[in-house]
Amino acid sequence: MNPLELTLGIMTAVGGFVDISELVFAAKAGSKFGYALIWVFAIATVGIMVFGEMSGRVAAVAKQPVFNLMRHRLGLKLGMLTLLASLIANLITCAAEVGGVAMILNYLTGAPFRLMAIAGALVLMASMWVLPFKWIERTYGLLGLFMIVFAVALVAIHPPWDQIAGGFVPQIPKGLSTKELLIFAYFAVAIVSAVMFPYEAYFYSSGGIEEEWGPKDLPMNKITCTVGFGLGSLLSIAILASSAQLFTPANVDPQLLGSSALEVAIPLGTTGLVIALLGMLFAISGAAVETCMANAYSISQFFGWEWGRHRKPREAPRFTVAWVTFFALALLIILTGIDPMQLVEYAVLFSILVLPLTYLPLLLLAGDKSYMGEYANGPVGKTLGWLYFALISLAAIGALPLYFLTSGGQG
Amino acid sequence: MKPTRRIKLISQLLDLPLIDSDGNYCGIVDDIELEGSPGKKTRLKALLVGPGTYSGRMPGWAMPLIRLIAGDRVTRIPVTRIESIKSFVQLDSKAEALGLNKAEDRVRAWIPEAGAL
Repeated sequence: MNPLELTLGIMTAVGGFVDISELVFAAKAGSKFGYALIWVFAIATVGIMVFGEMSGRVAAVAKQPVFNLMRHRLGLKLGMLTLLASLIANLITCAAEVGGVAMILNYLTGAPFRLMAIAGALVLMASMWVLPFKWIERTYGLLGLFMIVFAVALVAIHPPWDQIAGGFVPQIPKGLSTKELLIFAYFAVAIVSAVMFPYEAYFYSSGGIEEEWGPKDLPMNKITCTVGFGLGSLLSIAILASSAQLFTPANVDPQLLGSSALEVAIPLGTTGLVIALLGMLFAISGAAVETCMANAYSISQFFGWEWGRHRKPREAPRFTVAWVTFFALALLIILTGIDPMQLVEYAVLFSILVLPLTYLPLLLLAGDKSYMGEYANGPVGKTLGWLYFALISLAAIGALPLYFLTSGGQG
Repeated sequence: MKPTRRIKLISQLLDLPLIDSDGNYCGIVDDIELEGSPGKKTRLKALLVGPGTYSGRMPGWAMPLIRLIAGDRVTRIPVTRIESIKSFVQLDSKAEALGLNKAEDRVRAWIPEAGAL
């Protein structure tokens, strides 16, 4: 294991962990329920560690990305259904991320939102055209480390660490009315969805093939997933905790993306604000690129096309057309004038609905000895995998009723 | 591959990705062609590759969408061109020699070469 590669891999995972939905829901969850939803972030993070590790292991051992093998395992019809569901979920998510990029560019420059959406999308597409996979992943992941300023800001406001630690214990706040309980449950479901977005496992798995992982890379895969995702999740928890500390007493409901940046501006001033906005810009840009590429990977792998950004765009032509098309569609959705914050809600809602369908094949593949041999899921992997599958299935069943009963968490 | 080797057609072959002798993805085993007759042994004769084979396996309403995204071609690969079957089907020839690269080449003509590292 190359220590430099490992460190870079962990840093990339940390910087690339947070996206627009985590930013929005962490800030809202903190302002509404204080530290009481930290445990949901923690549980969902273990979930993405489990499925992320599995997807990397399948890529390293079977030498095939998940969508290739998924169709073989599930058959054409169910495979196609899974493909369509994940394409729609990822497209909505990608559009929300493009909207987030436009909002932050708008905050930073004051230029019109739509102009910034077009400019941001063009720059991101240009970066995907010019840079090979490793550079794309590293550039956005490492620049996303600016997000660490959220952890610094949390330390600077001297929060009640004992209460934050207490938030890691599963709990439902006492004294909530039925309506508030439903909102609490909606937020819990939304956080699980935001942390375990389906594109993450597919992007990670395809990335493993792009970088030609083999069984020798399995320890690195495990460490990157556990340490990288774990530290990345702490940034989301820092956003939640700052929101609880600063916004709850002031009765502030952080409806806008920029509200999260204020958590840094309050203790660290203008410099902190700019660093926070840059961190958010790079983290959300990275997520936009990843969701778009995840869709291009999925469709190419399903139909057996040439794919990968370790190849030049011309060497994988239909893959190139796929990611250009998905990015253009995401931009078009934003240009219709739909509120990006509304899109975040839809992305989270639709993703949780399809999450069981997208993670089931992965679970089956990682436990299949005919593909995985000695590297198939052991008792711990199997237990955790099925436990989380039951959890996301439960969340998927509850998502729609909770969304309508709470008017999307508004009450 | 020797045509006499026994394989489970559905679980071992159908829907597996195809990789050509240069290591490039060049399709999926979308269907198979068998030879034989009642009372005689059934043998795998060829692999059928391309979304044109989906019509018997997918609901009718989905076909126009599939045609729009992936076309409706079918390419026949003789069983003798299979080198091995693992988590993918390894072919012993280049995709272009088997006629599996036509759609990629058609799209490639529209993609500029400039700019990419």
